[in-house]
Amino acid sequence: MTEMRPTTPAPLPQRAPEPALLRMHGMRKSFGTVVALDGVDFEVAPRQVHGLLGGNGAGKTTLMNVLYGLYRPDSGAVEIDGQQVHIRSPRDAIRHGVGMVHQSFLQVDTYTVTENIVLGTRLPSFPVLSLHDAHQRVREMSERFGLDVDPGVRVEDLSVGLRQRVEILKALYRGARLLVLDEPTTNLTPHEVDALFGSLRAIVEEGMSVVFITHKIRETLAVCDRLTVMRDGRLVTVVDRDAVDARRLAGLMVGELSEAGEEIRDDVAAVIGREGVEEADALTPSSATTTPRMVAQGVCADNDLGVEAVHGVSLTVHRGEILGVAGVAGNGQGELVEVLSGIRTARSGSIELDGSPMAGQPTARWLAAGVAYVPEDRTRDGILPTSSIAENIVLGAHRSPRFRRRGFIDSGAVRRTAATAMSAYSIKASSVNSPAGELSGGNIQRVILARVFGHDPNLLVLHNPTRGLDIRSTQFVYERVREAAAADAAVLLVSEDLDELMHLADRVVAVYSGRIVGEQSRGAYNPYEIGRLMTGVRGEV
Amino acid sequence: MTSAALAQLNRPAVRRSATSALSYIIAVLAAFLVTGLIILWLGQDPVTAFRSILTTSFRTSFGFVETLHKWVPISLLALGFTIPLLSGKFNIGGEGQLLVGACAAAAVGITAQGLPAVILLPAILIAGTAAGAVWAGIAAWLLVRFGVNEILTTVLLNFASFGIVDYIASEVWSDPAAGHPTTIPIADAGLLPTFGAPPVHAGVIIALVVALVAMLIVRRGTAGYELRAVGANPRAARVHGVRIAGVAAAALVVGGALGGLAGAIEVTGVYGKLIEGLQTNYLLLGIIVGLIARGNVVALPFVAFGIAVLEVGASAMQRTADVPNEMVLITEALILIFILASTVVQPRVGRRSR
Repeated sequence: MTEMRPTTPAPLPQRAPEPALLRMHGMRKSFGTVVALDGVDFEVAPRQVHGLLGGNGAGKTTLMNVLYGLYRPDSGAVEIDGQQVHIRSPRDAIRHGVGMVHQSFLQVDTYTVTENIVLGTRLPSFPVLSLHDAHQRVREMSERFGLDVDPGVRVEDLSVGLRQRVEILKALYRGARLLVLDEPTTNLTPHEVDALFGSLRAIVEEGMSVVFITHKIRETLAVCDRLTVMRDGRLVTVVDRDAVDARRLAGLMVGELSEAGEEIRDDVAAVIGREGVEEADALTPSSATTTPRMVAQGVCADNDLGVEAVHGVSLTVHRGEILGVAGVAGNGQGELVEVLSGIRTARSGSIELDGSPMAGQPTARWLAAGVAYVPEDRTRDGILPTSSIAENIVLGAHRSPRFRRRGFIDSGAVRRTAATAMSAYSIKASSVNSPAGELSGGNIQRVILARVFGHDPNLLVLHNPTRGLDIRSTQFVYERVREAAAADAAVLLVSEDLDELMHLADRVVAVYSGRIVGEQSRGAYNPYEIGRLMTGVRGEV
Repeated sequence: MTSAALAQLNRPAVRRSATSALSYIIAVLAAFLVTGLIILWLGQDPVTAFRSILTTSFRTSFGFVETLHKWVPISLLALGFTIPLLSGKFNIGGEGQLLVGACAAAAVGITAQGLPAVILLPAILIAGTAAGAVWAGIAAWLLVRFGVNEILTTVLLNFASFGIVDYIASEVWSDPAAGHPTTIPIADAGLLPTFGAPPVHAGVIIALVVALVAMLIVRRGTAGYELRAVGANPRAARVHGVRIAGVAAAALVVGGALGGLAGAIEVTGVYGKLIEGLQTNYLLLGIIVGLIARGNVVALPFVAFGIAVLEVGASAMQRTADVPNEMVLITEALILIFILASTVVQPRVGRRSR
């Protein structure tokens, strides 16, 4: 990815001072008692890819949502081309030439690419729907910016990467001169990331600007001209790409840790991209053994619609081993994870845990056998929002003798366990009786981890365990996962973050369309090759 | 953590319960205010009307006993509505469950003449409870087996129960002298013992015990924990090994059993026989109580008592102030509406004050 830095036009600062395309001044926004933006200044020059870098919760997306009219700021002024503007809705934003591509796309699946792009705009042919001109324009734009996509195909048939191109084209079609991309590389393969960066350069060369929101340092260095670093709702610094290196950026981003006198942890550094993957490999000793703990053979499973989504998957995870599963979302890994943690019943195939057959057993039996599951969707599958933290921590273990007394829940034991877990897992809440639904995403994940490790897992199954977490919480998850492996648990880690997988896992398998299509081991990781496998292209390596 | 810091942290929780208590008080006052305006509009005196409504239960011991006797079926049906509700299921079949319970109680009480009270009375109560459980069990089975919506089935089973009552009271054990579909009386040994003067039937104690046991199980029991887990987030409950279909079905069956018990108590404690229409509007009142208490099984008996006071006061009001007793139903509905409205308004007010 690092080599992807097409020759850029001369860096901006040398030019005659051009008026900034966008200037945001003193932006403040709070949600209840939480200050999300604390007087942030932000400036984007014309013809610039501007990186907006920071960990989760730094306020990057909030700042851009304010710009896009999704949030009304408490105070602050926005200028575009030196003119003060009042943006109260995305419609206003589009009128002022601001386009934004969010992490989740709102698209009509059954419409074609062109239909999706023109939806909500006024066609010249109104009231007749004539898409011929629009079709031509979309085709022309997609060629000009290297956003290759067939305008006549229905979006439901497109991959995530292509759907993102549709979103970018949508913004450009509406005349965006400032394109905001929120974490656009999530869920893209390394090849797709390179192509996206190429398109961003093409867009900038046409005279537009791009704001690139990310938490990955390597990506900002690969594509950005200038960088704004945010932390805890404040602006940390604004620097030119050429005047900064990865180490310094990492320091700025995770300032909280450095200030406390702590070295930036290797884990986090590797995942936000400070170190190369090879270096990270050497940093983490593996606890993998050769004793199989979980053996799955020929597992087939249906999705919620009753269509087979997992086709004959065979996997072995050894004691102390972390097995990574890489794949683009929606390729059966959700179903696979549920089957291997006993929540979904396999249609066929066998699953053994320490030699005893588990397929077809009720979920409670799996839990009792020491299978622990950290679900992808924390609020949907992980917690009881209206119940207290204490009640959430015993969920799943509520029938174990530890928490039972004559048919009743031993509330004293529950509270003691919860209080211990709250301090051990640094769960920030007023008491063990606070409703879990009121916690932040990071704290919810800590509650789930406290529960999972309270059960002493033999098999730990995690699905995107660090998605949306801040740096501290991410670090925390990694430490706990390694501890579990060191304590002889078999760990199955399914993640959309290739860096995370290559950093943590001893082996990585790639899934595509419900099948395992390749495997690599630590020391021989090749992200491009894994990316190829994930998109269903058989590699030639 | 220092005690000062603790106090600081606990404050939001205290404030939350204080505002919710306040919102209940405001809702009740607002409901009475609106009812008063309607009574004025009808050309009657709201002060006299309200005095009757609120004091009848406490002015005479007869009024108080009547209130307790009304409290029994209201609180039992409210629990029968609330327990399934905690798992996210709506039991709208309390009426039918009460009626089949009453039918079963009458059947045992009439046919098992000659048995001693120690055997007959428990047999009657168990028969009524079991009949209610079976009645709700039909809905539970249809829900688990075929995914049929429980609201639909429980409501429809109410109508089916009317036919059973009609058949028993006018065909099987009909009392021709009554002039209204009524069965002959059950054996004297099957009547609930009474105490005090005017007599209070022992059903009050049964209902009290049931309410306490329900509190204990819902709040502290493993079953109650799973029940609340399924209601709070069925997906998370399933992921953590709770059999959600089984829990929901069991909750419906327990709810039905409580309705059946209420029916058996009406037969053995109040009427001594099965009378068509003995269910009056208990289903509606039970649902109102359940919704006002919002799943809080501790608050529920008290809310039920408040509603019983209003119900007893209603008939007195009709006599003293010439206001139709349905007016009380309007008040009860208004309390509910205002409380529901407060859940919409409260967070907004809270947000603004922050």
